[in-house]
Amino acid sequence: MRVPLSWLRDYVDLEQSPDWIARRLTLLGMEVKGIEHRGLEWRNVVVGELLSVERHPRADRLSLTRVTTGSGEPLEIVCGATNIAAGDRVPVALPGAVLPGDRRIERTEKMGVVSNGMLCSGDELQLTADADGIMILPADTPLGVPLAGLYGDVVLDVDVKPNRGDALSIVGLAREIAAVTGTSVRFPDSTVTEAGRPTPERLRVDVEDPTLCSRFVGRWVEDVRVGPSPASVQMRLIAAGVRPVSNVVDASNYVMVELGKPIHIFDAAAVHDGRIVVRLARPGERLVTLDHVDRELHPETLLIADAAGPLGIAGVMGGAESEVSDATRNVVVESAIFDPISIRRTAFRYGLRSEASLRFEKGQEHRLARIGADRTARLVAEWAGGTVAPGVVDTHPAEPPPARVAFRPARVNRLLGTALAPAEQAAVLERVGLAIEAGGAGDDPTTAGSGAGVNVRVAAGERPLVVEADPADVLVAVVPTWRRDIEIEADIAEEVARIHGYDLVPSTLPSTSMPPFRSSPLELRDGLRRALVGAGLREVVTHALVAPASLDRVRWREPVDVADGETEARGTPIAVTNPLSADHSVLRQSLVASLLDIVASNARRGRPDVAIFEVGKGYGRVGQTTSEWWRLALALWGPLDQPAWNRPARDADLDDAKGLVALVAGYLGLGEPSYTPVPSEPSLHPGRAAEVRAIDGTGATGLAGRIGELHPSLVEAWDVRGRVIVAELSVRGLTAGQLPVPRAVAPSRQPDVERDVAVVVTEDRPSGELEMVIRASAGPLLRHVRLFDVYRGAPLAAEERSLAFRLRFAAADRTLIEAEVEAAMAAVVRALETAGGRLRS
Amino acid sequence: MDLAQLTGDLEDLRSEAMAQAAAAPDSAALEALEIELLGKRGRLTAVLRGIGALPAEDRPRVGAVANTVREGIEAAIRHRGKSLRGGELDARLARERVDVTTPGRPIRRGSLHPSLEAMADIAAIFAQFGFVVVESPEIEDDRTNFQMLNIPPDHPARDLWDTLYVDLPGHLLRTHTSPGQIRVMQSMAPPIRVLLPGRCFRYEAVDASHGFEFFQVEGLMVDEGTTLADLKGLLDQFAHAMFGAGKRTRFRPGYYPFTEPSVAFDVECLVCGGPGCAACGRTGWLTILGAGMVHPVVLQYGGLDPERYQGFAFGMGPERISMLKHGITDLRLFMENDLRFLGQFR
Ligand SMILES: [Zn+2]
Repeated sequence: MRVPLSWLRDYVDLEQSPDWIARRLTLLGMEVKGIEHRGLEWRNVVVGELLSVERHPRADRLSLTRVTTGSGEPLEIVCGATNIAAGDRVPVALPGAVLPGDRRIERTEKMGVVSNGMLCSGDELQLTADADGIMILPADTPLGVPLAGLYGDVVLDVDVKPNRGDALSIVGLAREIAAVTGTSVRFPDSTVTEAGRPTPERLRVDVEDPTLCSRFVGRWVEDVRVGPSPASVQMRLIAAGVRPVSNVVDASNYVMVELGKPIHIFDAAAVHDGRIVVRLARPGERLVTLDHVDRELHPETLLIADAAGPLGIAGVMGGAESEVSDATRNVVVESAIFDPISIRRTAFRYGLRSEASLRFEKGQEHRLARIGADRTARLVAEWAGGTVAPGVVDTHPAEPPPARVAFRPARVNRLLGTALAPAEQAAVLERVGLAIEAGGAGDDPTTAGSGAGVNVRVAAGERPLVVEADPADVLVAVVPTWRRDIEIEADIAEEVARIHGYDLVPSTLPSTSMPPFRSSPLELRDGLRRALVGAGLREVVTHALVAPASLDRVRWREPVDVADGETEARGTPIAVTNPLSADHSVLRQSLVASLLDIVASNARRGRPDVAIFEVGKGYGRVGQTTSEWWRLALALWGPLDQPAWNRPARDADLDDAKGLVALVAGYLGLGEPSYTPVPSEPSLHPGRAAEVRAIDGTGATGLAGRIGELHPSLVEAWDVRGRVIVAELSVRGLTAGQLPVPRAVAPSRQPDVERDVAVVVTEDRPSGELEMVIRASAGPLLRHVRLFDVYRGAPLAAEERSLAFRLRFAAADRTLIEAEVEAAMAAVVRALETAGGRLRS
Repeated sequence: MDLAQLTGDLEDLRSEAMAQAAAAPDSAALEALEIELLGKRGRLTAVLRGIGALPAEDRPRVGAVANTVREGIEAAIRHRGKSLRGGELDARLARERVDVTTPGRPIRRGSLHPSLEAMADIAAIFAQFGFVVVESPEIEDDRTNFQMLNIPPDHPARDLWDTLYVDLPGHLLRTHTSPGQIRVMQSMAPPIRVLLPGRCFRYEAVDASHGFEFFQVEGLMVDEGTTLADLKGLLDQFAHAMFGAGKRTRFRPGYYPFTEPSVAFDVECLVCGGPGCAACGRTGWLTILGAGMVHPVVLQYGGLDPERYQGFAFGMGPERISMLKHGITDLRLFMENDLRFLGQFR
């Protein structure tokens, strides 16, 4: 909310600097987000008096004026306005002046006459809404004085929280300031001079559903003359961010800013028979609203209507037909209280949230309906003339008594960690207008317990809780009617802390008992992340919300296994029903496309290599339940080992990615990863794609997923040159696991025995398959198998290759004898031959 | 062959050998010479073959002379060998000189993402005070995200969280980590000290300080005597640990429907240190988190009796912490993943 300090000072004595006020309001929870010094931009604009106004010799539409600013030679200034006459005092922008919008004024020649500056309109100074005429200042305005000194103001931008609708007003903030300065608030004058036929004889209001409109106060003002508001009023409204419209409309806006009470004013001529009905819209009903949009009304819309139909949408926007115009003679002032939820829903439904609807949404003080009606009628009569008809129409004149909230000062201290005596707490609360009584005083039905105790409301709303306390331990706060936010004991505690000062709350460290140990769900994830960073990969964090097209581009068609205990990727994609953009409208199911986006964006920026990973989630929906699964994904593009003068360039390939997968497996204490070809995964190169799996000592799957080179068509789709290697892995414990504790054994003192075997097979036989054959046949002494060479060429046939494996044998407790090893190797050879291999010697 | 002749031959061999050893051009020639002279079939052995023709009483004398000669030759070869090796090593070292000013063979350096690193830093600080990490789902139900946090439907406070809804009725992308409070209270018994880190979503246009996806770290502490003063003390410790021991902090009223009293927590501007600058909106303070005492309605939804238990909650954005700490001024960098940006972190 924009708060001009000049306006605030109408209601509370305030000598302090704007910075002081801003800091105090902030410390009261009314955070000042900015301080605007209005008028600072009017440099070199001073008060002048017109000595003469003559027709410009060569242009009919221009006037030639002579202006004095009190000293020095009179200035000749050319002016286009027609509302000026000799003797008027006006704002003069001298050469060198700068007006709002960074408009610079210089000495210029206009149709052969030199103009030594400019006479300013209210609009040019952003002081009033009048753009047609020069702003005529009061005749007693001192000459030569800078305009900033007269009309400059300081405007605070105050962030009023949703629970403090009462402070969404100048008077409300004046109350807050008065609480800290110890002064009192001067309430705006709402007395009216009445005459003529009484309002109830002219106006009748019927509310069909009082839960939607708990009070409607109507007033009638006769014989108004609609025109611009006084300049001082326009200045205030503009400073507060409200556009001046006319004296009548401005009166309602003025009251909204001043008291926080939204008001609507109808042209009385549009209200048939002076009979207003507050009711819900009927099927098919339409209304052209003030913004000239013809709207079909939803049946939940609360209307202000007459016999002929809707006059306006209650609390949200009036109708065009009943709008106050220059021709308006009599007006009806509506000061009503509507159901906050109904207003909020309606404002959202029509996309018409306004300063008025915002205030209705937060709830209104019942009393304000009456005060607002009176104050508005007074201002209309003052600014637009007219006569206020005697009395009001009021659908609910009985005003509810102030709420009484019981609290235990000891409980307040227990919550805050303070040691404020009950009397101190009472004194603090009284500064913001709460009256404090002893518990059990009088026969107060709102706090009287079933026994001798006093009822203390600990919680309200959907989960109310009331406890009965000893009257000796209780004080009762009588809460001013505008403080609708104070309902329960904890609200009182906050108010005590707020007014006493949050800075005076002590700073202590908890002395209560420690919770038991609990291992972190991030442990394994963090370990893996650090291992990959150690291997030179950069971690990225990408959006979970992606474009539907991206979802389709990389989608595993073949079922992908998951590590034991991890969530499988399943279900249909989940879409956002109100997305910000189509690019971020569905939750992803794979991380790979997101990583490819990052590869592409970095490549576009000229980066020669990208090696990245992300630990993130995929999301899916199965029936009425949602599922979230953690995955580790990586992407490699360009050289993994940075080329240098001492190292030739070599682009990352599938084997580099496999090396990283093996690193992960090794880090987690799993066996060597094994790979199975997956030739039919559309996102991947059919000849360079595999299912990967690594198991632990018990045979459980510790890691599983897809790895491969991106299909060339996708490489092209992402507009990247070369080959991109991707992998997406499910890892046991990624969701919430701990790093496995390695079992350590002393290294054998007996030397291992190594034997090599080379087997010739056709190209289509996977190495992994032959390795399995070796493992299965070598017997219990085999410790390790490693492919160490692949050979093609003479004397092998064209479709053949030789795979050389190194086998390591050992026994924990003894030195192996030659015969044992030879026997094992013989078994391996036989098995390889049975599997279709030919031994190469 | 007599004694004199034989000893003469030995002496000749010695002097010739000494000259040859001294003249050996390199280690290989010296090695060949050693074999030629002293080897099994070498010249010394050949000379000594004549010993068989001598009378028995002369033989020990020749043996003594032969030993002296052998030792002499060996010493000469050793001596020459040493000097040769020294020179050869020098030559090799000279040959092996490299330009030591060239850059080394680069090793790829990885980096952790700053959002997650800030989360880890935050968790590490609170771990010292007994806070353990718990996670909760990102797709939440409206009830847990709002209603159980004392934000009923159509409550004006909902304006504080512009929400992205999903096509499963009653569900949304969590707007904050606060629903984790409910899940923790329902599943853990006090004393509770937890941190809830994770990804959050809002219907928010992207600019230098807003995004529609970001991270948050929620803290929750509940037991029988946890006070607002404890919250203040703990947050002071946090600010000192994160931003430096001397930093001033400020505790002021805030508003959240799920806390009462509610708090905004500021730290002195890290740019200007107090007088006010553009970074702090000329206030001298930077808001780093929101907090407050858990609202009795929230405690009840968590299954706890507000007459017995009380506590506090706080929530902060790791990106904001990271921005303040590293002097980053644009939030968009975190999701852009420009490797030139990411490479500046460890
Ligand atoms: Zn600053």
